[in-house]
Formats: sequence, structure tokens, C-alpha cells
Amino acid sequence: MDLNVVLERLQVFVTIFLGIFIEAVPFLLAGSVVAGLIEIFLGRETLHRIVPHQPILAALAGTSMGMVFPVCECGVVPVTRRLYGKGLALPVGIAFLMAAPVINPVVMLSTYAAFGWSPILVGRIAFTFVIAFSIGLIFQLARRDEVLLPTTEHPEDAMDEPPAVSSGEHPTIRQRLPSALRVAGDDFLDMTRYLVIGCLLAAAMQTLIPQSTLTAIGQGPVTSVIVMLALAFVLSVCSTVDAFVALAFVGTFTPASILAFLVFGPMVDIKSTAMFLGVFQRRKVAYLVLLPFVMALFLGVFLNFNVGVLR
Amino acid sequence: MKNGVKGLVLIGLGFFLISRLNNGTIFFYINSRFVWLTLLAGIGFFLVAAGYLFESQAARSSHAGEDHDHADHDHHDHHDHSHNLSRIGLLLILLPIVLGTLIPPRPLGATAMADREVSVSGLSSAVAPKSSQVASSDHKKNLLDWLVAFDAKNDPQAFDGQEAEVVGFVYRDGRFADDTFMVSRFIVSCCVADATPIGLIVQWPDAASLKTDSWVEVSGAFQAGEFDGQKTPILVAQQVQPTDPPNQPYLFP
Repeated sequence: MDLNVVLERLQVFVTIFLGIFIEAVPFLLAGSVVAGLIEIFLGRETLHRIVPHQPILAALAGTSMGMVFPVCECGVVPVTRRLYGKGLALPVGIAFLMAAPVINPVVMLSTYAAFGWSPILVGRIAFTFVIAFSIGLIFQLARRDEVLLPTTEHPEDAMDEPPAVSSGEHPTIRQRLPSALRVAGDDFLDMTRYLVIGCLLAAAMQTLIPQSTLTAIGQGPVTSVIVMLALAFVLSVCSTVDAFVALAFVGTFTPASILAFLVFGPMVDIKSTAMFLGVFQRRKVAYLVLLPFVMALFLGVFLNFNVGVLR
Repeated sequence: MKNGVKGLVLIGLGFFLISRLNNGTIFFYINSRFVWLTLLAGIGFFLVAAGYLFESQAARSSHAGEDHDHADHDHHDHHDHSHNLSRIGLLLILLPIVLGTLIPPRPLGATAMADREVSVSGLSSAVAPKSSQVASSDHKKNLLDWLVAFDAKNDPQAFDGQEAEVVGFVYRDGRFADDTFMVSRFIVSCCVADATPIGLIVQWPDAASLKTDSWVEVSGAFQAGEFDGQKTPILVAQQVQPTDPPNQPYLFP
């Protein structure tokens, strides 16, 4: 290959890399600011009090927390991490992590804008709920210290004596806000490393594996679902807008595979997987990728065979 | 990493985003619909960086002496701040700025197109029902509007004789005869990760002399024909004029 071709390829790679990064960064920043506010303004006891302890209720609470914290799959990671630092129960956080990128007002609205009042919209919310709930329950069986990284459990900077709290008087918002921002900055920088790795991988996959190869493979009831799941993973599109991206595949792929794309993509993609590595033990990240994958695959294939065209 | 450095990194990212907005290259990366988010994030970075400044003022007195000696140690400078970002971590965070500065910004073009499936005769789906409705009335139809129209009619002959004037870049590969090329654009619904190329087949005697990736304005009239075994409206050009790349190189459905 001559130098020009290499350079042009590199430019395509950099453009896609920056595209994903620039698009994701506002959401990650917003998530980090929420995480910072949680760290400074939400007490352990309050959290302990308001989150249910009975396993099923806890997982249910996790799946619906996105309505309170409207975050996409980038923003949800720092928020979950901070909530774990505050002692949030393991299954609640997992269910939140899996569900919040879809079950929140912003994403519901964008899905509605793209698909209208259709089975895709209802199915997306319903199946995300079911899958996130199940994975939350599965993690009920795991031990906290086997799943979370030590730094998630005890974020060091939380102990960095918050300036005003120790000083006796009740801290004012003006005193606490800078601390919240500093925590937000720390969380952002921490997560950005993973975001960059994720963006690099996603851009590399896109430049190396032509999309046409993927789309050429899959029309069958099984392969179409696998291809759409692979696309969801590789494209790493933000969940707030992935409905519009999915729209472009409506004619080419079976509706059930599109539904699988919309359910799986927000839970797991290259960049969020990279970010999970900053929160969970490496082996448990594999579960967090594989469980939703298998469930979404089952869902898509089942619908393809049993319901056929849902439009 | 010390608070001052962290603050600087955040300010750097803020400047990076704002500079992309300022010189308009932001449109090489994302749909214009999300540009306001980039602006918010740019401002947000400065605010968050300010958090470090306020805090480090308070901390300066207590940490003043020990900072210099720690410059070479990446790990575990005990109760100093939080998740000690390593050198590699810092490098990763700065990578977007570094790559963005070293590699001149350029929108996706013919090179990226070779990887993707190009739709020529209509889109596989209603990618852009909204934009086409607005456009159909009076304003000049762009490439996307035409393809949506082809898709709606589903009859290549229905457009015979209709005049069109479209802007796009030149794309050619092995399938093109000497007198045909494709005038193309990428459509981007979110960011370039989902960029999909579209194009119109143009008939023009000097097609072979056109430089791939150069921007042209084509005017002519449609005539149903065949390309690559597919029936499709072909734009028979009266004029093909070189033109500057538009400020927004992609079309946003």
C-alpha cells in the first residue's frame, strides 16, 4: 500500500474516532456531574433508606431509577460507580446500569420520534426491563467484593475530607459545590480513559471490517439478529439517538433483529464495555456483556420464529 | 496527577471542543442537531475545571511542599488525590486532542465509501421522511431528498425529464464506465460512526477526467437507466462544475 492510501485510511479512522468521542463526551460529562452531586449531597443513610432491600423490589427499583437519573450508556457508568461507593446494593446497581440507558424519558422520546407508537417502542421498553431485571436478580447471587473493584467500593477521594463538613457548622451549598465539581472532574477523567479506549476500538473495527461485510451476511432469522447485535456492539452509538440509526436498517433487517439492536446496544457496546472495566472486576465484565447478549439473541430469534413480522 | 494538571486537562478538552465549533469542523463529526451539546460540554469543562481551582486554593497550604518530589511517581502517593491517573491514563485522555491536532480534520469521503454499502436507487427505508416533506415544496432538492423521492415512487421512469441540481463529491470504482460517476454525500443521523453513503449515478462524457473525492455541482435531467444490474434514475448532466466543499459536508436526515 502506498503512503497516501495509508494516510487516507488514518484520516477516516481519526474522523470516526473523534466523531464517537465528541458525541459521547457531553453525556459522560453530564453523568460525571450527576455522580459528583450524588457524592456530595446524597448521604449513605438516605440511600440506604430509600432503596428497597427485598431482592425483587430492589431489582425493580434499579430498573426504574433511570426515570430519576436520565442518563445514556456513557453517563450511567460514573453514576453507578458513585452509587456503589455509597453502598448501593449490588443487584440494584446492575439493573440500573442495564436499564437506565433505555428506561428514561429522553430515550423513550427519541425512540418515539423515530418509530412512533409502534411495537418497536413498546418492545424496547418492555424487553429492556425484563432483561435488566433478570440480570439484576442473577447478580443477587454474587458477592459484592467479587464483582466490584476495590476503588468502586471505596472511592479514595470520598475520604479526602470534604472541606466544609468537618468544620462544625452546617455546610452551605456554596461551600460544597466546588467539591461536587471536583469529584465530577475526577470521575470524568477516570472514565474518559476507558471511553477513549472504547472509541479507538470502535473506530478501528469500523475502518477494518467493512459494514457491507456484516450486512451481506445476515438475512436469516438467526443471522439477522446476530448481525444486528454485532453492529450494536461495534457502532457504539449513544442510546439517546440509536433509534434514528436503527431506522436506517428497517428495510434490510427483520424487525425483531432491530428490536434486539435497540435493546442490546444501550446495555453493552465497545465503549461502555471499556468503561465497565473501571467499575467491575474483569471477569464479571464478561458476564455483563454475555448475559445481555444471550438474552437479546434469544429474544430476537424467538420473535423471528414465532411472531414473524411485527410492524 | 495533581489537581492543577487535571484542571488543565479539562480546560484543554473544553478548548478543543470550542475550537472545533469555532472553525466549523464540528460538522465533520456529528449531526448539527447535537452541536448545542458540544457547546454545553465545552462550557461544562471550564466549570468543572473551576471546581479544582477553588479546591486547590484550600489545599495549597497543606500540600505545598510535597508536590515537586512526586512528579516522577505514578502510583500511590498515598493520601494525595483520588485515583492517581498514570502517565498512560493522561496520554489516553489527551489522545483526542493530539490526534485531532496532528491529523488535519477532514470529512469522510471516497476512501470511507469503499467500505460501505452505497444506496443508489432510493433508500432501503424511510430514513428522512421529515426533511423531505419540508424540502419538496420549493427549496432545491438535495441528494437525500431525491433518493427519498425515488424510494417513495419506486419507479425509476417516473422521474424522466425532471431537472436537478445537486452538490456532492465524486466517487468512481471498477463498476463505472468512462462516462459515468457517482455524485455522493454521506448521511449522518448521529455521528460519523453511523455515516451511510448515498449517491446518484451521473452520465457525463468527461467523467473519467474528474478527480475522485473532488466536490462538484451537477445540473441535468433524469433519465431512467441501469447501473450495476439495477434499474435506477440516472442524472444526465448538462453541466458539471467543480465547487468548494460545503460547510456541512454531510446531510442530516
